[in-house]
Amino acid sequence: MIDIVSQISVGLSIASILLLIALGLAIIYGTMGVINLAHGEFVMLGAYAVWFLQTYLGIGLFAGLILVFVLIGLVGWVVEWSLIRRLYDRPLDTILATWGVGVILQQGVRLAAGAELRYVKMPDALVNPVAFMGYDESAYRIFIFVVAVALLFVTYILVFRTEFGLQLRAITQNRDIARCFGVNAKRIYSLTFAYGAGLAGLAGALVSPLKSVSPDMGTNYVVDAFLVVVAGGVQSLLGTVASSYLIGQASGVLAFLSDDTMAKAIVFLSVVVLIRLFPQGLFAMRVRRS
Amino acid sequence: MKGNGHIKRTLLGYFAFCVAILIVPIFISDAYLLNKFARYLVFGLLSVALSLSWGYAGILNLGQAVSFGLGSYCMAMALKLRTIPIQTGAGGLPDFMVWNNVQTLPWFWEPFHSYAFALFAGIAVPVAVAFLIGWFIFRARVSGVYVAIITLAMLVVINLLIIDQQRFTGGFNGITDLTTFELFGVQFDAYSTALYYLAAIILSLTLLLGFAFVNSKTGLILQAIRDDETRVWYFGYDVANYQNFIFCVSAAVAGVAGMLYTLVMEFASPTFLAVPISLSIVIWCAVGGRASLVGAALGAIVVTGVQGSLSDTQAFLDTWMLIMGALFIVIVLFLPNGLVSMLELIWRKKRPLQGSASARLVASRASRAGQATGHRAVSSR
Repeated sequence: MIDIVSQISVGLSIASILLLIALGLAIIYGTMGVINLAHGEFVMLGAYAVWFLQTYLGIGLFAGLILVFVLIGLVGWVVEWSLIRRLYDRPLDTILATWGVGVILQQGVRLAAGAELRYVKMPDALVNPVAFMGYDESAYRIFIFVVAVALLFVTYILVFRTEFGLQLRAITQNRDIARCFGVNAKRIYSLTFAYGAGLAGLAGALVSPLKSVSPDMGTNYVVDAFLVVVAGGVQSLLGTVASSYLIGQASGVLAFLSDDTMAKAIVFLSVVVLIRLFPQGLFAMRVRRS
Repeated sequence: MKGNGHIKRTLLGYFAFCVAILIVPIFISDAYLLNKFARYLVFGLLSVALSLSWGYAGILNLGQAVSFGLGSYCMAMALKLRTIPIQTGAGGLPDFMVWNNVQTLPWFWEPFHSYAFALFAGIAVPVAVAFLIGWFIFRARVSGVYVAIITLAMLVVINLLIIDQQRFTGGFNGITDLTTFELFGVQFDAYSTALYYLAAIILSLTLLLGFAFVNSKTGLILQAIRDDETRVWYFGYDVANYQNFIFCVSAAVAGVAGMLYTLVMEFASPTFLAVPISLSIVIWCAVGGRASLVGAALGAIVVTGVQGSLSDTQAFLDTWMLIMGALFIVIVLFLPNGLVSMLELIWRKKRPLQGSASARLVASRASRAGQATGHRAVSSR
């Protein structure tokens, strides 16, 4: 029984990181239909922002979080404003354009901050493990879990309980009709994209103490995030949550049984098989889109 | 695809390109430069592979480097087994296996003692992998975005596995210290004119055969699928089979490019099937013109050529990627069919366009089937 509990907590830890990273992508992809391959680079930017704030300005992780969210959100807003909004009629081309954005961001950071690995210090308060149900759990991982759940809650409220969310959902269902009712689609899209980018930045900031920070770290995250979103079913927040949980647990168990690489390979392949069997994802919302 | 005159004109362009790359060695005798040019041609071939599936069938394969890398490894394995001295241990083992305490040659290395098998595998392995992936995704009528994501995920997985299985693949270092490839008594040294000609001839043949193919009936159906997949389903074609077919053809071409690349570079490395090269292929294709084989080849040659002629320092390469990213975005935004489409725009001004051939083919099939109109896809956004 001891192993099972610790195994589940490892899985939960992976799942909460996945959820953090996938949440922003799920919002952007699910509502706007934009495939943002620069998502991983937004995560990377978030990590670098924290590193920069910590190293040069002496601002700790906690204090920096809001700042990072705003900063990366701003980057996302600029990208949407200058690029994405020109491509709403060509969703496949958003893949290409955002990939180009990813290249620029990645190289820009490489030129500005160097290609070497950077490390971000964990907040002092969370360095020591805490006792939980008789086990020593990393306080930082628990913190990440709490933040992930909190962000999920905020996103849920935003989408389903606010005027903004109502307009967003209206546009998602039918953009033209929504505009006839006076919804400013451009503004909503800009804000949504900025929010998704901000979430990615937060995710990067939060994982930075656990993993080394490098300019090309985003590539892996974007693939992970897409698999989570696609497996869970686009346009379904619940699906994203469930699939992060499943994929997180599966990764944890498989990594325990073999090693990290094999775990990743097997999980990826399983998700591909899953998409084959359930092309709509596990928790597809039955929304008919025109 | 706009009538016979257009095809003739385009074919002329293809011939001009082939002649141009074939006469290069007459003017250049510097071995180093020739090796560089051969490398550009290999990239051109790789770009043509993507153009076949992306430009002509709308399958955006972000994992094209998988086929390229597998082809490259097949060639490297055969060359490695012929290296003298081949081993530092017993039983003809490649050196990196000895370092990793592998006692006997793994079974899947055995057949690579034969060049014939290696050449076959260099095409067959990428095609087999592509067929499996294609069978999975196209049968489920997965299209567009999902294809891009799945192929990207496969690229990451296969790259991880190759690095992870260091004992059999050389891991991060790849397979190095290779012997010179020899076929029918000709030595294809990396810096030889022979290798350049090999690359140029293969690229020329691929372009001409490819041109004939994309203008054949199958090619037109593929273009119809690219333009409106659901509509072609409604006309009774098995779209998935067509898609998987072109996916495999594209993998085969990329596999050949991979084999050539091993000869040109004299090693195989996991970087050959990493994300950056896959990204580069898409950029070359987009810059040159995805819906034109020769355009795609030119895109690769021009982009890598400019890159190679300016400088090779790391600082420059970083800046170069920055420029490439920006150029890529500009092309996607304003010139979706690449630089070649500018030429076509000029032609189009001279002669008015008369309905594309693929549309006519589908229309004739429709009237035979007694369906006056095809319904627009409900699912396509």
